[in-house]
Amino acid sequence: GGTRAATKTTSDMIAYKNVNDLHPPRDLIIQIDQKNEAILLPIHGSMVPFHVATVKTVSSQQDTNRSCYIRIIFNVPGTPFNPHDANSLKNQGAIYLKEVSFRSKDPRHISEVVQVIKNLRRQVVARESARAERAT
Amino acid sequence: MDVFFNVHLDPMKHGLNPGQMRVHSGGILWKKQGGGKAVEVDKADIMKLTWMKVPRTNQLSVRTKDGLYYKFTGFRDQDVTTLSNSFQNYFGISPEEKQLSVSGRNWGEIDLSGNILTFLVGQKQAFEVSLADVSQTQLQGKNDVMLEFHVDDTTGANEKDSLMEMSFHIPNSNTQFVGDENRP
Repeated sequence: GGTRAATKTTSDMIAYKNVNDLHPPRDLIIQIDQKNEAILLPIHGSMVPFHVATVKTVSSQQDTNRSCYIRIIFNVPGTPFNPHDANSLKNQGAIYLKEVSFRSKDPRHISEVVQVIKNLRRQVVARESARAERAT
Repeated sequence: MDVFFNVHLDPMKHGLNPGQMRVHSGGILWKKQGGGKAVEVDKADIMKLTWMKVPRTNQLSVRTKDGLYYKFTGFRDQDVTTLSNSFQNYFGISPEEKQLSVSGRNWGEIDLSGNILTFLVGQKQAFEVSLADVSQTQLQGKNDVMLEFHVDDTTGANEKDSLMEMSFHIPNSNTQFVGDENRP
């Protein structure tokens, strides 16, 4: 932090600079890397990072079968992160990952993940709106 | 013939036991250490070979003409050079090089090749999904495509959280899938 320009938008936020900044995967389980503000999702045998600033909402649900579900909805154009986000203008023509849901057998892990993502997202949103305010 | 030890076949699917890979003039052979799983790909069946740098190692993907797709990890940078030469000599195939996106962005492009859908961010691969794992696709509204995945409890020994659904938002400004939004 600190060195980022005040005019930076969420579309400039990145989780990792280099491939080797990530750890080799051990488990195909949703993980949060608080230091890099990243959510790591198991997709087709790999752990795929998403910066928490791309997340719009996260929720979980439990069914009677002791399975639970987590749904992550990402920001897409038309639902801007904040008024200063030039995301949708800058990436015209892009395709967006809008939503993912996972099934888990560990409800405790899922409720923890939901809580951590919510807190992390809140911190990042607060920090970025403070920065945007200073810039105006 | 080139022999490499400590090569993993899709560790997330097949467990963490490494194996030995032999690349010879007839093809590629991988055997799990201590026996068990083995993969043999005849040189005539190889459709495409791809290298990608993944965290702390290099990944070799082997796609066969009948649609099988194997991913091996555990190669050092110097192995990549050695093997690329061997692939050229033995099979007359130059492997392609792909890069992995780790920026954490959720916007990019979709590439379809065979039954593999690749989501690319800044020309780099963010993730792949196999359309063979997709049970249903649905168009939602005008701009969203939902993919539903088979969740098979018997596969994926290490899989604790399983992908069920994924949707893509294709804005009107996108021209890649005009008139074909239901089959991205």
